[in-house]
Amino acid sequence: MTHPSELISAYLDGELTDRELSSLMDHLASCGRCSAELEQMQRVRTAIRSLPVLDMPRGIVPEADSVVVPLRRNKGLWAGVAAAVVIAVIAVAALVTPPPGSVSIDDLNSRFGARASLDPAFGPAKVVVPVQVGE
Amino acid sequence: MESIPLTWEEVARVYGRKIYNFAYRLTGNPDDAHDLVQEVLLRVRRGLASYQPGSFEGWLWRITRNAFLDDVRRKKRRPTAPLPDEVDRWDIASSESADVEYSRISLGDDIQKALLELPLDFREAVVLCDVVGLSYEEIAVAVAVPIGTVRSRIHRGRKMLKELLT
Repeated sequence: MTHPSELISAYLDGELTDRELSSLMDHLASCGRCSAELEQMQRVRTAIRSLPVLDMPRGIVPEADSVVVPLRRNKGLWAGVAAAVVIAVIAVAALVTPPPGSVSIDDLNSRFGARASLDPAFGPAKVVVPVQVGE
Repeated sequence: MESIPLTWEEVARVYGRKIYNFAYRLTGNPDDAHDLVQEVLLRVRRGLASYQPGSFEGWLWRITRNAFLDDVRRKKRRPTAPLPDEVDRWDIASSESADVEYSRISLGDDIQKALLELPLDFREAVVLCDVVGLSYEEIAVAVAVPIGTVRSRIHRGRKMLKELLT
């Protein structure tokens, strides 16, 4: 009797063709030796797959030039782009914002008058005039 | 269309842990694994510029195994320190309790030692299959052998492991 031993691991890994699978199933039905081997292989496979997955130690990735150089280059590039954007925003704002119209003294009085009445800090400065009493 | 990592930093991020585990299980030594990962990433960095779209994983694992084999050849010429007695006792994901970790470590010790007893071809096939999780076809591409050879190596490797573990 030929024992299709090598099909056993492939069966456990789902790597058999339909024909191989059918052939192995027929064989296992009548072969105690291969059935026992299947059980053993399954245990070994499970044991290997139960090995802990290790974390990669920190600092394992080398600090190569391709990391450092582009980052420096990018930093300079982005700083330039950021500056250009700020300048453009200011320029556009200057164009869009209407120029201030003329402001009359009355306008100022009406704007700040109310506040002056509520907030003593906005009131007229108190001037203390020294008074000479007798000589 | 196949999506591939664009930079070696992305390769390091996506595949670094897998490469490290492959390297560690093959060498049984954290320092060697560390060096191997760095060597692989440097080779990836050099090779990405000329990478032709195809099986990226096959390409990556071929680089990884070639780096490993080069290291083995180098060490044959220049023997180094013996493997540590205690393996896996460091840097295991910290989310588990100490007891669970210890039982896994003890189990892992025996399996790791048995793995190191396997001939290189068998160890490589078993690790690529059971640790990295590659299909037989992907292993065949990485190792540059027919699928039938992959199948045979995995089965014979597991049979030897079974003998070593009993």
